[in-house]
Amino acid sequence: MSDAVVSLECPKELERVPLVTSARKFPWITQAVSEIVENRTPVWWWVLFLPLSALALFGLTCIGYQISNGVGVWGENHPNGWAWDITNFVFWIGIGHAGTLISAILFLTRQKWRTSINRASEAMTLFAVMCAAIFPGIHVGRVWMAWFLAPIPNANAIWPNFRSPLLWDVFAVSTYFTVSVLFWYTGLVPDLATLRDRAKSRVVKYIYGIFALGWRGSNRHWRHYEMAYLILAGLSTPLVLSVHSIVSFDFATSIVPGWHTTIFPPYFVAGAIFGGFAMVLTILLPARIVYPKLDDLITRQHVDKMAKIILLTGSIVGYAYLMELFIAWYSANVYERAAFWNRAFGWYGWAYWCMMTCNVVIPQFFWIKKLRTNYIAVFIICQFVNAGMWFERFVIIVTSLAQDFLPSSWGHYSPSWVEIWTFAGTFGIFLSLFLLFMRFLPMIAMSEIKIVVPEADAHHKPSTAH
Amino acid sequence: MSDHAHAPEAEKFDPSKLGGLPNVLLGAGVAGLAVTAVGAFVVGKEQFAYTYLFAFSFFFTLIMGASFWNCLHHATDSEWSVVIRRQVENVASLFPVLFVFFLPLLGCVSILWKWWDVQPGVDVLLDEKQPYLSHWFFLLRVALYFVVVSWIVTSLRRHSTKQDEDGAASHSLTMRKLGIGGIPAVALTITFAGFDWLMGLDYHWFSTMWGVYLFAGAAGSSMSLIVLIITALKAKGYLKVVNSEHYHIMGKFMLAFTIFWAYIGYSQYMLIWYANIPEETVYFIIRNQGNWNFLSTALVVCRFFLPFPVLLTQWVKKAPERLRYVAMWIIGVQLLDIFVIVIPTLKKTGFSFLDVAYAICPLVGIGGILAWLFLKKLTANYLFPTKDPRLAGSLNLHN
Repeated sequence: MSDAVVSLECPKELERVPLVTSARKFPWITQAVSEIVENRTPVWWWVLFLPLSALALFGLTCIGYQISNGVGVWGENHPNGWAWDITNFVFWIGIGHAGTLISAILFLTRQKWRTSINRASEAMTLFAVMCAAIFPGIHVGRVWMAWFLAPIPNANAIWPNFRSPLLWDVFAVSTYFTVSVLFWYTGLVPDLATLRDRAKSRVVKYIYGIFALGWRGSNRHWRHYEMAYLILAGLSTPLVLSVHSIVSFDFATSIVPGWHTTIFPPYFVAGAIFGGFAMVLTILLPARIVYPKLDDLITRQHVDKMAKIILLTGSIVGYAYLMELFIAWYSANVYERAAFWNRAFGWYGWAYWCMMTCNVVIPQFFWIKKLRTNYIAVFIICQFVNAGMWFERFVIIVTSLAQDFLPSSWGHYSPSWVEIWTFAGTFGIFLSLFLLFMRFLPMIAMSEIKIVVPEADAHHKPSTAH
Repeated sequence: MSDHAHAPEAEKFDPSKLGGLPNVLLGAGVAGLAVTAVGAFVVGKEQFAYTYLFAFSFFFTLIMGASFWNCLHHATDSEWSVVIRRQVENVASLFPVLFVFFLPLLGCVSILWKWWDVQPGVDVLLDEKQPYLSHWFFLLRVALYFVVVSWIVTSLRRHSTKQDEDGAASHSLTMRKLGIGGIPAVALTITFAGFDWLMGLDYHWFSTMWGVYLFAGAAGSSMSLIVLIITALKAKGYLKVVNSEHYHIMGKFMLAFTIFWAYIGYSQYMLIWYANIPEETVYFIIRNQGNWNFLSTALVVCRFFLPFPVLLTQWVKKAPERLRYVAMWIIGVQLLDIFVIVIPTLKKTGFSFLDVAYAICPLVGIGGILAWLFLKKLTANYLFPTKDPRLAGSLNLHN
């Protein structure tokens, strides 16, 4: 049948680069990751933690001030009933998408490179969702009534509007947070056991021992673990899509021009992954500087792949912007057209062009491989994406509300100092929590990364390991 | 990796095994088109135009889907799909032929796309979008869609078959570039062709999700088509290199796009229903009237609720003999989807048995000739890429 020889050779230029460089072995990986937690707290950590936690505290103070004085201390007004707060809510929820995408979707699609970055990204997800949850919580004004959102008052025949996406949001975000915590914790168990076994102090051993749930690494443990992990990955995957889809419903179900458009759900999800990955890189790239050993675990290949995801999702976001603009024009609806005209050339046109530049133009630099593997360039581009994604939400929310149907009801919006410092405070919370995470938990999934090194392969020949 | 794999034999399809099949397909194709043309005198030119557009759009989505998978394989430097890639290429490279099948539609422009004959000043909304909905720009876009995507899919297949001869890495690198560029090209083509040919059936109606919706259906159904082709080849004793692990992944993609279609379809429907703006709801109102309501409901049940639980199990995904039934099902519902998109524009109050019977004619016509051409491509080259640098990894696949 055959007259040609089948070739299984792979030319040199196409050979795959190993995920863990310098042919690191199991003990080295354990040591490199565990020592971050075990060594004495470095000075730089305190230098960062103290001001950041002070910032967090000041943010919380602003929240206290707002609660005691009312939402009037914010710059929100009529018609801008939603502005800075919901912008920040959507911004932080978006940041919280990369972690679960990396841990769930990349797990299901067998992307082994996820193992170096999943733990830190998942932690970041949790902290970002915590920051996000603050904003709608305090925006209700009477925070002591916020429990109405979790339809508990049904018992008193006070029914929340189950047709409102705002209510769905409560379910979506709380489910997402719960499953993300479970997922993160399940993955942590084997590594907590490693820290327990290495602990020199009895107290530390005891504490890690409690959280390691009696993990012994037996075959039966691993079988249960793998099963739980797969199920959680399966459960988390639709959640990655649902959370931001429902956030997008908050806007798209309305009839406000610029909000009501059918592409919103996938567009928001793509944008969230886009912004989430930028934040992962924003945090992990500096972490590689302070812990040079991580160089062999979070390699240029990882950064390159994350940059490609940013390029892809950024282009999807660009596609969505194009669809919105095109259909707003094609619909020939005067209000839709006016909304998009005002976005680009109205009061907040500068924000629109910031968004376009940061989200669509600048990420295109990632077409260039040299830039994708240059850490400084990647870091700078990611800062543009972070800013761009914040502007995106600001543009959607504020430009649509400030200049809606009737010019007589138009109104400017500018944030008050309380709003600005509350937002700054959430950065303090987010980064302080991340610093704490780095100090107390293994920031790289040791047990998972060991599975992707050649040593884990039963057919591995040590002499040929590279 | 390569130390685990034993080199399989290269396979070429023996044309004698096909027997009279190519002639049957060609005969059916010609007969189908002839009956369609003759039938036009019975059912009228209007019904001919819509029914033909339905059949054309169905094959357009299948082939665009295959073009997407072909580009995606190279753009992501995939390993698992090497052994199935030639069949994806064979389907995708039928794209240029679609242009020939598009030509009859050019004779029906004013029937299908009502804006074509509307004079300026008659419809204010149309006047507003005249720069886009103008004759010359419409034709220019048609040309662009066919030229760009045809160039991509034929270049991909050419490099892939050349690599069978010389095994050069340069082909892989070129195909990667074509794949990366191909994804936006395919995305924009399916979006704007979808706007022009399908959304444009009612030029007042619009939805930003439209392109994504068509893509979701196209990707899932074309992956199902690949499953059917591979399974048929295996039944003939070929492609033993494709094992249950490859089927598992193909099944996962079918599952993923079953969910994705439902997600996109639901979002589009729900947002239009919720906002309840007449100029948007008109699309669904027509499709919820008369017996269209039955088909619209059936679409939701058959496209998502039935295949979803079935595809969850490995028992189905890993077994060709089971997965092929799901694949047939999904292709069948893709047909239903396109039917519900196109025909209600003409038959607003409901469809009749005759509408369905007549719709089969152009389907057999275009399908027969495309299948005949596919067999020509099938027998022309090896059934899987023989010297692809990632072949060893594909043979060794473990999920």
